[in-house]
Amino acid sequence: MTLKVLSIDDSKTIRMIVKKAFKAFDCEVFEAENGLEGLTLAGKVLPDLIVLDITMPVMTGVEMLEKLKADPALRSIPVIMLTAESGKDNVLNIVKMGVQNYIVKPFKGEQLIERAQTVIKLETKVEEGPTEDASARYFSLEGNVQVLTLPAKIIRPVVVEVENLLKIKVEEMKKGGLNRCILNLTGVAETNVSLIKLIITILETCQRSSIHIRVVGTATLSTELKSFQETSEIPIRMTIEDAMGSF
Amino acid sequence: MGDLMALDLKTFVVGSVEGVFDTMLSMEASVSQADGFPGLSGERIVGTVSFAGQVMGNISLQIGIPFARRVAAAMLGMEDTEIESQEEVNDVIGELSNMIGGDLKSRLCDAGLPCQLSIPSITSGSDFKIESRGWVRSERFVCANQGQSAIVEIFIKPA
Repeated sequence: MTLKVLSIDDSKTIRMIVKKAFKAFDCEVFEAENGLEGLTLAGKVLPDLIVLDITMPVMTGVEMLEKLKADPALRSIPVIMLTAESGKDNVLNIVKMGVQNYIVKPFKGEQLIERAQTVIKLETKVEEGPTEDASARYFSLEGNVQVLTLPAKIIRPVVVEVENLLKIKVEEMKKGGLNRCILNLTGVAETNVSLIKLIITILETCQRSSIHIRVVGTATLSTELKSFQETSEIPIRMTIEDAMGSF
Repeated sequence: MGDLMALDLKTFVVGSVEGVFDTMLSMEASVSQADGFPGLSGERIVGTVSFAGQVMGNISLQIGIPFARRVAAAMLGMEDTEIESQEEVNDVIGELSNMIGGDLKSRLCDAGLPCQLSIPSITSGSDFKIESRGWVRSERFVCANQGQSAIVEIFIKPA
C-alpha cells in the first residue's frame, strides 16, 4: 500500500531533499510551503507521516502542530520535526509538544528515512523494468555487434536509464552468445561530467562481463575526452565501420 | 559584554560551516580567517539570517554564482547543467545560511546567550557592498573548495 508523506517547509530545497529521500520507497510525497497550507493539505490527504519544519512564514511548525493535535481526525498522524537548531532548549520544547521524532539540519536523506522507519513501515518500491521502447532508443544490433548510441545531451535521468538498460542488455548478450559492443558517441553534443562518468561505467560494465567494446566519436569529442584524466587513454574511432573492422 | 568577547566565534563558525558542507553537500570546506582576502567580485548571492535575544546579530554567506551553482547542484543531487533557474540556487543558498545560522544560534544558546533566529533573506547582484555597523564583534571567514571561495561574516552585539 502506497504511504502518503506530507512535507511542509518554506524551502523548496528541503522539500526536494525530502522527496528524494523517499523516492526509493512506495510513498507519495505531498508538499506545502507553510503551516497553513500544510494543515489544509493534511485534512485533505490524511498522510501517514508529516515532515514538518519549525521556522516558516504565515504559520510556523509549532503553531501548525498545536492545531494538528487539537483536531481529532489528525492528531494521531506521526510527525517528524525539522529544525535548524540543535540547542538543549529547542530539543526540550519539541519533546514537550509530543513529537515522536526530530531531525536537526543539516541532515542526510538516509537519516530522515531512518527516523521515518521508527514510526511507519516503509516498503521499498518495486522498480518497473525499462520498456522495450526505452531500450530501442539506445540499443541496436549491427550483425553480431550491439551498438549503444548515446543522445546529444547527457543528464542524470539519461545516465540512470542507460545504466539500468545496460545491465539488462549485458545479460541478454551473454545468453545470446554476443560479446561485442560499440559505444556510439557521434551524436553527443556536449561533454560534461555526467558523460565522462557514464562512459567509464559502460566500459567497466562491459569489461566485467568480458564484452569487447569499441568507442566511436567525432574528432572534437575525441579531443575533449583527452582533457579528462579518466578518458584520456580511450581510443576513439571515427566511424562505426572502423570500429567493426577493429574487432 | 564579557560573555560576548569571550565567545570562541571561530570554532563556532568553522564547525557550523564545515558540518553543513560535509553533511548536505558532501564537500570538504576549508574554513579560515579572511585576513588579507580581497573579497568577491562579479555576480554573487548573499544569504543572511539574523538572531535576536540576549545577543543580537547576523550571519551571512556570500558566494559567487559559479560556486553557488555547484553548491546547489551538490545539495539537490544534480549536475550544474540541470539547475533550471536562479531561484533554485537562491533557495539553496538561503537554506545553507539558515542551517549555518541555526547551528550558530544553538551554540550561542548553549553558551548562555539565548536568542531567536529569523528566516533567511537573499540578496543578489554584482554592484553592492555589505557593511554592518554598531556591532561589538565581527568576524570574517573564507570557505574554500576546489579553488572557489565563499565568505562567511558574523556580526554580534549584546541586547
